[in-house]
Amino acid sequence: MTGTNLSAASARCPLIQLCYVRLAVQTPQPAAAFATDVLGLQHVPNDLEPFLYRSDERYYTLCFATGAERPSIGIEIADAQELDRIAEALKGDGFHAREATKDQCAQRFVRRALIVGDATGNEIDLVLRPALSGRRYFPSRDAGVTGLQGVGLRSRAMKDDLKLWTAILGAKVTDRVGEITYLGIDQMHHRVVLYPSDKAGIVYVSYGVESMDALMQNHYFVEERQIKILHGPGREPASGQMFVRFTGPEDYVFSYGYGLGNIESGHRPRQFTLEASSLCEWGSQCADIIELRPALAS
Amino acid sequence: MIELKDLSYVRFGTSSLEDAENFATKCLGLQVGEQSGKALYLRSDDRAHTLCYFEGDPAEQTVGFEVEDEARLNAAAATLDQLGHPVHAGTPNECALRKVKAFIGFQDPTGNHIELVVRPERSGKRYFASRDAGITGFSHVGLSTTDPARDERFWTQVCNARVSDRIGDVALMRVNAIHHTIALAPGPRPGVHHVNHQVESNDDVLRSYYHLSGQRVPIVFGPGRHPTSGARFLYFRGPDGMVFEYSVGVNEIEDEETHRPRQFGFEPSSLCMWGSKRNW
Repeated sequence: MTGTNLSAASARCPLIQLCYVRLAVQTPQPAAAFATDVLGLQHVPNDLEPFLYRSDERYYTLCFATGAERPSIGIEIADAQELDRIAEALKGDGFHAREATKDQCAQRFVRRALIVGDATGNEIDLVLRPALSGRRYFPSRDAGVTGLQGVGLRSRAMKDDLKLWTAILGAKVTDRVGEITYLGIDQMHHRVVLYPSDKAGIVYVSYGVESMDALMQNHYFVEERQIKILHGPGREPASGQMFVRFTGPEDYVFSYGYGLGNIESGHRPRQFTLEASSLCEWGSQCADIIELRPALAS
Repeated sequence: MIELKDLSYVRFGTSSLEDAENFATKCLGLQVGEQSGKALYLRSDDRAHTLCYFEGDPAEQTVGFEVEDEARLNAAAATLDQLGHPVHAGTPNECALRKVKAFIGFQDPTGNHIELVVRPERSGKRYFASRDAGITGFSHVGLSTTDPARDERFWTQVCNARVSDRIGDVALMRVNAIHHTIALAPGPRPGVHHVNHQVESNDDVLRSYYHLSGQRVPIVFGPGRHPTSGARFLYFRGPDGMVFEYSVGVNEIEDEETHRPRQFGFEPSSLCMWGSKRNW
């Protein structure tokens, strides 16, 4: 019986989706204005967490948390059995993981959560039954956002962080640029990217948009508001995704993306040379995010 | 009715053939087809040349259109003469310099130098670009106009151009299925407003944006997208101040019979739907 479950689990990734990003902030008002006026997300009125934002059918995908010490991301796990198995495996490999309290689950709008620390010190919530919203998404401006698409994470312990993501959580390495590692959990090229770094944290939070037009319109929209463009407009050769990355509140970086490719069934991870053109085939360079400067990303 | 079949070439005088060649090969990415002492012939597709720089005054700017045959060329000459446009018939030497069988020269109502040509030469050798800009061919010109309504009448009533769309009173006109081959651009004096080459993909437009920025070529508009033709574009400045454009994805007018020109407002968003601002 156990054997059947294991083989079923290995055939299908137990990670269902990247469901939210919780960003610790000091001063929420400017962040709130940024989320609606710049990103174009929809504010979700809520007493428990006043700074929640929707981008798609989910109840929220972005939370500015004044009470949090560090940012975290939420990943939905298929079911309770998988979550229990993962909890055991994490314990066995010495990863820090704790069951979220009822209040912590309530703040995250999930039924159950395992709050995990990766080897770097990033916080990853493995959650069950994250909330959806019955009402359709109604953006605060016409940015063409289709949903939370992906997240870039810093890693200072690539080997152990990869062990967590692949051996324990079942994500697949789809491609690499130098040691920068793209991780897939569904049919898309990646949902999480690990960037070698000397510290923990989120490199960027990426929202998908509906077209190249939307991407470029957002580029000029952001530029006109004198928000610093950090990388792009550009296109990742590995994923095919066009992107523009720009500064958000409190040094967080946000990104719009369009054209993220699917992973074909026979795909093997490719190794791209560590150079600027492997991160942007159009020729944009990134000076201000150290993890996206190829000379330093080795 | 003068029936223009296609755009054939542009000819520009220049004070420095060397600068023109550097720009054409290192920045624009055309192929040198032939180089004589006083002229530089540049290729962008299977034609023997589509852009010619010659030693001379940069104000000398000429656009060549192909017509069907010599009989129609002669008829065009008679029509223009009748309307009071002085017509110059190309000498054999002038024809050789243009790599055409025959041509006539005249000025449109604004004073733009136009040539109608017969049998422009093609090249047996395929086009091999000097840099990987993805150019697929010379496609349209912007022509300055001192009176858009008058010039629209000339191009549509004396010639066979059809209006595809208008931005304010400025017409984008086609001579075949491609959305526009002649774009009128209001200005104080005659001259070529810009020269367009098509590229293969969106990626090429953006790649060139970064490549040309790196070469310190002034980017004057874009990357952007025209809501009229649907084309993604990049405009940049070349020798003697001439503006060149790369674009991709220009619409075709599918139904010649039923197409009605759309009216766009004379405002920035009619020129770029992405929000880039024109600065020339």
